[in-house]
Amino acid sequence: MPSEVSFTLNGERVTTAVEADESLAWVLRERLGLLGTKIGCGTGDCGACTILLDGHPVCSCLLLAVKAQGRAVVTIEGLGAPGQLHPVQQAFMEHGALQCGFCGPGLLVSAAALLARDAHPSEEAVREAIAGNLCRCTGYAKIVEAILAASKDAVGEQSR
Amino acid sequence: MTTITHPAPPTVIEETPSGAVGRRVPRHDALLQVTGRVVYGDDMHAAGMLWARAVRSPHPHARIAEVDLLPALSSPGVRAIITGRDVPRNRYGFTHQDQPVLAEDCVRHVGEAVAVVAAETLRQAEEAAARVMVRYEPLPAVFDPLEAMRTDAPRLHQDTNVAEHIRIREGDVEAGFAQADAIVEEEFTTGFVEHAHLEPHAGLAIPSPDGAITIYSSVQRPFLVAGDTAKVLAMSQNRVRLIATGVGGGFGGKNEMTFEPWIALLALRTRRPVKIVFTREEEFQATTVRHPYRMRYRTGVRADGTLLARAVEIISDCGAYVSWGASTLAKASIHAAGPYAIPHVKIDGYLVYTNNPVGGAMRGFGVPQVGFAYECHTDAVAEAVTMDPIAFRLRNALRDGGHLPTGQVLERVTLAETLRQALEMAEWRREGRAS
Repeated sequence: MPSEVSFTLNGERVTTAVEADESLAWVLRERLGLLGTKIGCGTGDCGACTILLDGHPVCSCLLLAVKAQGRAVVTIEGLGAPGQLHPVQQAFMEHGALQCGFCGPGLLVSAAALLARDAHPSEEAVREAIAGNLCRCTGYAKIVEAILAASKDAVGEQSR
Repeated sequence: MTTITHPAPPTVIEETPSGAVGRRVPRHDALLQVTGRVVYGDDMHAAGMLWARAVRSPHPHARIAEVDLLPALSSPGVRAIITGRDVPRNRYGFTHQDQPVLAEDCVRHVGEAVAVVAAETLRQAEEAAARVMVRYEPLPAVFDPLEAMRTDAPRLHQDTNVAEHIRIREGDVEAGFAQADAIVEEEFTTGFVEHAHLEPHAGLAIPSPDGAITIYSSVQRPFLVAGDTAKVLAMSQNRVRLIATGVGGGFGGKNEMTFEPWIALLALRTRRPVKIVFTREEEFQATTVRHPYRMRYRTGVRADGTLLARAVEIISDCGAYVSWGASTLAKASIHAAGPYAIPHVKIDGYLVYTNNPVGGAMRGFGVPQVGFAYECHTDAVAEAVTMDPIAFRLRNALRDGGHLPTGQVLERVTLAETLRQALEMAEWRREGRAS
């Protein structure tokens, strides 16, 4: 049975038809054309589909799209664009934190959520924050390095 | 007359000394990656496209008695279904042409594809795939390569399950063992590994009005896949265009043809673009894995630590089809004696069919398996002559002008030097032992 759902997507109000059992990941990609959010497993194991729901990182493959009604969703497309990148996006580029890049959108969204609630995370807090995001290429060292560097940049900006 | 102008040759080489070397240089696609704009296989869409879904065997080994497509054909949204009979040349492989594009007479592993459905939506394709009625007559299956080598084992292809025997001989290994002061014999095993690239196999086929086909696919070897696809479709190479999308991880797991001929056939038949994305379950069951190896090492050594003889037997579980199994085993066999100078060497590699998942290429191509074995074994051999394992390695390490058991002469060998530098960096010390 098709129904309708309305929510805020990257700061803009959207309304779309959805099937009752469609996941938010599917609706973002197939109905709204935002392909930055990736689906790696469809069962909440890999974290490639991570988005922010009212600021909290969530696996969008596990969330029914209808549950997004009235809420605020941020995807990789809403994190930052060329020319105005989020510090964590800039840091991932500079530190070579991605290889194939498929885990990137989910990791970046998780990292941004961490830095929003804790501007000075410890390495342990960084590792905890990305525990739900699998990367099969890098071994995580450069990813952790990049997130810590992004937090230091943010600190630098605040003290200026 | 058309004049073709070539772009200026790349200036990277001239720039290198003062440019990239020693500096952090972002990947060429780093900005696309961090903004989520790399186009991977699953990101391909085309107007009016259909979704494909495979029908896969629940049995490890069974005869296909009957395939009834009627209930599925009348399922909502279905536009076409193909089986092995629709594939013009239903057989392929790099070294052994043993694998069907779609199983026809018999299935040889769980997850082997028997039919593929194309429907208007993914959901309709899934529903129709569940309605394809395949009647299987289960056959005895074999999952252990040692059992599969026995003459009374269930056979997968021909009169023997040994698909390949690789032999390397140097010197006289028995004479070498006869001169040895100590002989060490050990067995090592390694398990299956799934590549588990985060992006599943995914792609899109777009038919041309003249019957040619363009396939977008997340593959590591686009030209090989294009060639194999043309071959099994009995189309000339220039009518099959394969474009590799961004690859969301491969590690050797996207090194061969998988769904490309299926979506090409479905697209040509329906005259519509056809998309497919494997599920994670399909990735584990139906795509290639790293071969499990069983490796027996026997080494003869003199009391002063000089290696004299080594005999290695490798048994590779290649699964139901050879795929990259023979080439992987060849590479493993070439490296099996390790980077050490040994005058008498005997290596036997056996590639054995089982009803397990198909082994393919994976990072290191057989060498990680033997590397694990010969380095563990080297420690044990050093121990047998009460030598420090580092000193033992330095004594026997291959050097410039040394050769592998195949006769390949090696140049610029830096093993000993690398080992010394690594020891220094690791601040390696062994009490009471020289290194």
